Amino acid sequence: MTNLRLHATFPLQLAVLGSAILILLPLGYVTGLAMSADLAVWQRLWATRIPELLTNTVALAGTVAVLTLLLGVSTAWIVTRFDFHGRRLWEVALVLPLAMPTYVLAYVYNYLLGFNGPVEHLWQTLAGPQARIFSPQSFWGATLVMALDTFPFVYLLTRSALLSLNVSFEEVARTCGASRMRTMLRVTLPLLRPSIVAGTALVILYVVSDFGAVSLLRYQTLTYAVFQQMTGRSDNIAASILSILLVILALIFLLTERWFRHKSRFHQTTGRYRAPLRIRCDWIKTATFTAYLSAILGAAFGVPFYLLVQWSLSPEALAILDARFVGFVWNSAFLSALAATAGVLIGLPLAYLASRKPTWLNLGCLQAAYAGYVLPGPVAALAVLVLCLKLVPFVYGTVVVLIVAYVLHFLPAGLQSLEPALQQITPNLEEAARTLGLGVQSTWRRVTLPLIRNGFIAAWVLMFLQTMKELPATLLLRPVGFDTLAIRVWLEASEEYYQLAAPSALLIVLVGLPALALLLSRDWRAA
Amino acid sequence: MTTESHPTPADTNGLDSQADLSAPAAPILELRSVSCAYDPHRPAIRDISFSAREGEILCLLGPSGCGKTTVLRAIAGFEPVRSGEIFLSGRRVSSSSATIPTEERHVGMVFQEYALFPHLRVVGNIAFGLGHLSRSDRENRVQEMLRLTGLEGFERRYPHELSGGQQQRVALARALVQNPVVLLLDEPFSNLDPDMAGRMRQELHTLLRRMKTTTILVTHDHDEAFAMADRIAVLNHGVLEQMDSPEIIYHLPSTPFVADFVGQADFITGHVREGMVHTELGVFPNTLAAEEEAPVVVMIRPDDIHLLPDKSAGPRIVARQFRGSENLYTVRLGSGQIVHSSESSTSVYQEGTAVELRVSATHTVLFRADQFPDSAQRPHALTD
Repeated sequence: MTNLRLHATFPLQLAVLGSAILILLPLGYVTGLAMSADLAVWQRLWATRIPELLTNTVALAGTVAVLTLLLGVSTAWIVTRFDFHGRRLWEVALVLPLAMPTYVLAYVYNYLLGFNGPVEHLWQTLAGPQARIFSPQSFWGATLVMALDTFPFVYLLTRSALLSLNVSFEEVARTCGASRMRTMLRVTLPLLRPSIVAGTALVILYVVSDFGAVSLLRYQTLTYAVFQQMTGRSDNIAASILSILLVILALIFLLTERWFRHKSRFHQTTGRYRAPLRIRCDWIKTATFTAYLSAILGAAFGVPFYLLVQWSLSPEALAILDARFVGFVWNSAFLSALAATAGVLIGLPLAYLASRKPTWLNLGCLQAAYAGYVLPGPVAALAVLVLCLKLVPFVYGTVVVLIVAYVLHFLPAGLQSLEPALQQITPNLEEAARTLGLGVQSTWRRVTLPLIRNGFIAAWVLMFLQTMKELPATLLLRPVGFDTLAIRVWLEASEEYYQLAAPSALLIVLVGLPALALLLSRDWRAA
Repeated sequence: MTTESHPTPADTNGLDSQADLSAPAAPILELRSVSCAYDPHRPAIRDISFSAREGEILCLLGPSGCGKTTVLRAIAGFEPVRSGEIFLSGRRVSSSSATIPTEERHVGMVFQEYALFPHLRVVGNIAFGLGHLSRSDRENRVQEMLRLTGLEGFERRYPHELSGGQQQRVALARALVQNPVVLLLDEPFSNLDPDMAGRMRQELHTLLRRMKTTTILVTHDHDEAFAMADRIAVLNHGVLEQMDSPEIIYHLPSTPFVADFVGQADFITGHVREGMVHTELGVFPNTLAAEEEAPVVVMIRPDDIHLLPDKSAGPRIVARQFRGSENLYTVRLGSGQIVHSSESSTSVYQEGTAVELRVSATHTVLFRADQFPDSAQRPHALTD
């Protein structure tokens, strides 16, 4: 029996090992490149760029974290603990900003807050003609855009933690004589802490690896600098040194998130689940909440979306909706579908073996696949680029390089949908099928596959949409003249052709909306 | 439905051994015709009235969904009251118009899943409600509680580092350390394995007696109720069916539901003739004072029926269930009626043996036939 099984899974085992090596190789090569660099290069970078880049990156991440914490926790608390008119609508609407890639939001804010822009006009009618507001192309501009775009991560995590929190904890605190306020401070918030910290770590990871917003807002971070080293100076050595710093920074936050998630394991208690009682609101509270939520959502989604629609309907924008535009759409869809399919095909054996035969080898391979998490887009591109120039230079400049970079970059997102789907089927189900006379393959076809189908589809959709939005790797690795929707947005927005960028941006946002439904219905981590 | 008092030998036999507790002391807890707002997710309760004296252990017993937990939550102040009133130490805490918040009621509560704060150590959990005390007072109280509950040495542990029994002790200590007016226990033993549950029951009983804590215990397990309670209130469909000492509940149930729920019972139909109840198992006194020819039902427990093998007798053994300390026999009477008999562990008879039945008449209980919703020929369904 054991022999039979070993025999059946052997090719799978090889495939898993192969993909893990393929994933780790680029990262290893970049590390090697950075380590073998001349000491003088390190010294030059330390003396010139690194202090500024590190300060900028950490300051941005820290400020955005604080802002998202405030926005995310307060909105989650309002929609889970109070009952007011429109609550359900808000509960769903608050994830809408996630459909907006950072570069889209950044380009809209470039216009909104820009010199002679609408916000400045408004401010000048209030505060006098000489009044100025802060420029979007500054620390505060980047902070605002990133915070508005990423607070739903904290919101989603806090909300689901609040919804699944065992109410008995709060009730027992009340029987111990604690008031509502004390119960919230001493019991509820400490119990939510792991989720809140995990959400914030996720936000930081996102900010640290973001390229779209900072490049359009011209704010110097490590990620942006890697891109500049590769394009402006064609200095791959310097780029790899900066990349290593970036990977270490990302790793720190990733481990923080993992550690807190690990800690929160114990916070799931057995016993009956009872939905928390929501506090009914009078009209004053209802109005206050509605105003607060409208302001946040208006700034993060409503106003930008309205502008995109308006710009898309302008004559300049309508004029570019020609065959070339269809070509961009096709390029995007083609690349995304290819990357998603490749990702699912590589991810499935990895997740399956790790959950069914959790040997250290299989678990290690799975962890290797999560490496993409700490590889921001430009770094993933750099890794794939240098390795392919070294080993297979003839594929450089083809779609293949791009697909490899996408899979490397987005496999973690796919795995996070596949893994829970596989874990929720107990091996007993498969064993039951075997006792009923089904072979290994027909068990797979008739039991396992139907059960994991939804996780499978979700993983594909998520990787498809992530690829659709992807900007830096596409910019760096695309074949010459091969433009996607994301590239068009970035190119036009860089030149401040707001109207021309709008149709592509609007399309990306609209295509991204279905993924939000997945987010709300499934594990938030599918993000 | 109120409890009827039966003038039976049981009373004089001293079955009601807790009579000494019914001293004039004012009730610590009193419910006056309490009904709870209907919520589709929670069982409603109707017109519940009872009171608990100081130091008494009172048990709310009933099947799941009978509303016993709702009663407990109403006392704690988690459940608003639609009508009626609840008094704690003579103070009105719940009525249809006003509900005093839980934190001002001074109740201690132990939840079924204990709800220990996972982010606090054992000491942190126990001291949670002692914020108003000075540091040294707090430490003394916690130390005393740790000693009483046998938790010394576990102070620095986190809840997930404790066994089920230890977790329960911490939950108890956390509730008791505040000297609550009344302690509320919601199915406290249901998360423990049977061995552990038995031991914890014993320990808890001793502890509560020593601390003289008025306690309301909710359970669906009649053995647990018998072992712990001074008095038991049996609930069914949100209504209080009977409230009495465990002995009276078992031997003199006032409704067929109670009879069936607290132990194995057989119901045998009969008729009143010449002032006596005539059944297939013999003649019983007409304790109900039912009129002539009225259909009645006699409840008999297996321990009141004894078997004597007799080749000429009509009843036959159809099954034997060995239970360790006893043998439970299922016997079919001539009419097809099934009754049960509990015999000593060593009396083993083959299936099919013809037996004569001897019924000790002191413990029989009579019901009117119309007290049975689904006719008198009710199969004995709800055993243990």
